Amino acid sequence: MKHLPKHLRPRWRYLGVGIESWPDADVDRAAFQRDLWYAAGNLLGDPGSADVDLTVYGFRFEDGRGDAVVRVRRREVERGRAALACLSEVGGAPVRVTVRGTAGTVRACEERYIRRPPEPTDERTVAFEDADRDAVVRGSRADVRVDGGFAGATDYDFE
Amino acid sequence: MYEAAHARPDGESTVARLALTAAEQGYEGLVVRNHGDAEAGYDPDAIGERYGIDVVDGVEVRAGDRSRLAGLIGSHRERRTVVCVHGGPHNRLVCEDERVDVLAHPMRDGDVNHVLVRAARENGVRVEFDFGRVLRTVGGERVQALRGLRKLRELVGKYEAPYVVSADATDHLQLRAPRELLAVGESIGFDREAVRAGLAEWGRIAERNRERRADSFIEPGVRRGRYEEVDR
Repeated sequence: MKHLPKHLRPRWRYLGVGIESWPDADVDRAAFQRDLWYAAGNLLGDPGSADVDLTVYGFRFEDGRGDAVVRVRRREVERGRAALACLSEVGGAPVRVTVRGTAGTVRACEERYIRRPPEPTDERTVAFEDADRDAVVRGSRADVRVDGGFAGATDYDFE
Repeated sequence: MYEAAHARPDGESTVARLALTAAEQGYEGLVVRNHGDAEAGYDPDAIGERYGIDVVDGVEVRAGDRSRLAGLIGSHRERRTVVCVHGGPHNRLVCEDERVDVLAHPMRDGDVNHVLVRAARENGVRVEFDFGRVLRTVGGERVQALRGLRKLRELVGKYEAPYVVSADATDHLQLRAPRELLAVGESIGFDREAVRAGLAEWGRIAERNRERRADSFIEPGVRRGRYEEVDR
C-alpha cells in the first residue's frame, strides 16, 4: 500500500526502558512484547491498548539486565508509562521496567538511553547473612543465591 | 516523595538494595516497613548517607488479636519513627488509636466505612492507598483491589482524611518510580496531584515524628529552649 503523506502519519514517541530481573530470568523479545500487550490490555482495555500502541523495537536482555525501545503514540506517553509500570512479570520471571526517558526518534532514544556499555557481570562468593554464598555482582549491586531463589543486596551488605 | 517497602527477611531484598533502587528512581526517602515479626537489622543513617536517600525506620505491626495489637502498637511507638499497622479485621481499632501513623492496605482483608474514615481523620491516622495489587495481580483479584481503592478514594475525599500512597514493594523489582505511580494512579481514576501528595505524606510523617522524638520536644508548639538551664 502506498504510505501516508507525511502530515497524516501518526506521530510517535519512543520510550527508552531499562529491564531488571533476577540473574536466572530468561526474557526474550517475544515474551516481553506479549506480556507488555497483556499488561496494557488489562490496564487500559483493548481500545486504550490500541491507542497507546506499545510496540517493542530494540531489545536486549542478558544475565537479568536489559533494555528496550518501546513505541507509543505521541499523546499517550503517560498511559504507556502506566502500562509499563504494571508489567510485573515476563514469562513468569519478576521484572522491574523503568522508563529512562522519551525521545522523538528510535535513533535519539537509543543514543540517549540505551547505548551505554552494559556493566560487566561477575560471579563470586560473598559473606551474606552468616554464610558464604554465590552471588552475581554487577557494579555495587549483587544478587545473592539463597535457599529457593535470590536475595537483592549491595556491596554495603558484605562489609 | 517517599516510598515504603518491606526488606529482608520480610521481603527478598536488603534495605541497602531497596535504598539504592529507590534513590535511582528519584525518591527522596524510603520507609522500611517490615512486619513486626520479621524485623531487619540495619543502620538507617549509614545506608541513607551512602545512597543519598532518607532511610526511615518504620514498622508494620501485625497481630491476630486486639489486645496484643494494642500492646504492640505501644511498644513500637516508643522505638520507631513511623508506625504502620497491617490492615484487616482490626481496621476500626487502628483508626481509633492516635499512636498509629498509617493504616496499611485497609481494603486487602478488611473494609472501611464512613465511621472509620472519620475516626482516622480525627486521630490523624493516614489510610493507605495500596497500589501493590494493581501493579502485580491480574483478573478478579485486581478488580477487587480496584474496587477497594475506589471506595476508599470516595470516602477519603468526602471526609478529607489524611492518606498515603505506596506500591508496597517486597523487593527491589517491585519498586516503581514516582512518575510511574502517578501515571498508574491517573489511569485508575486518581488525581495526579493526589498521588503526589500521598507519596510526599510519608516524608511529612517522618519529619513530624522525628521532631517529636527529639529531646527538645515537650508538646506541639512547646519546645525546650536555650535559656532553660539558666532560668532554673
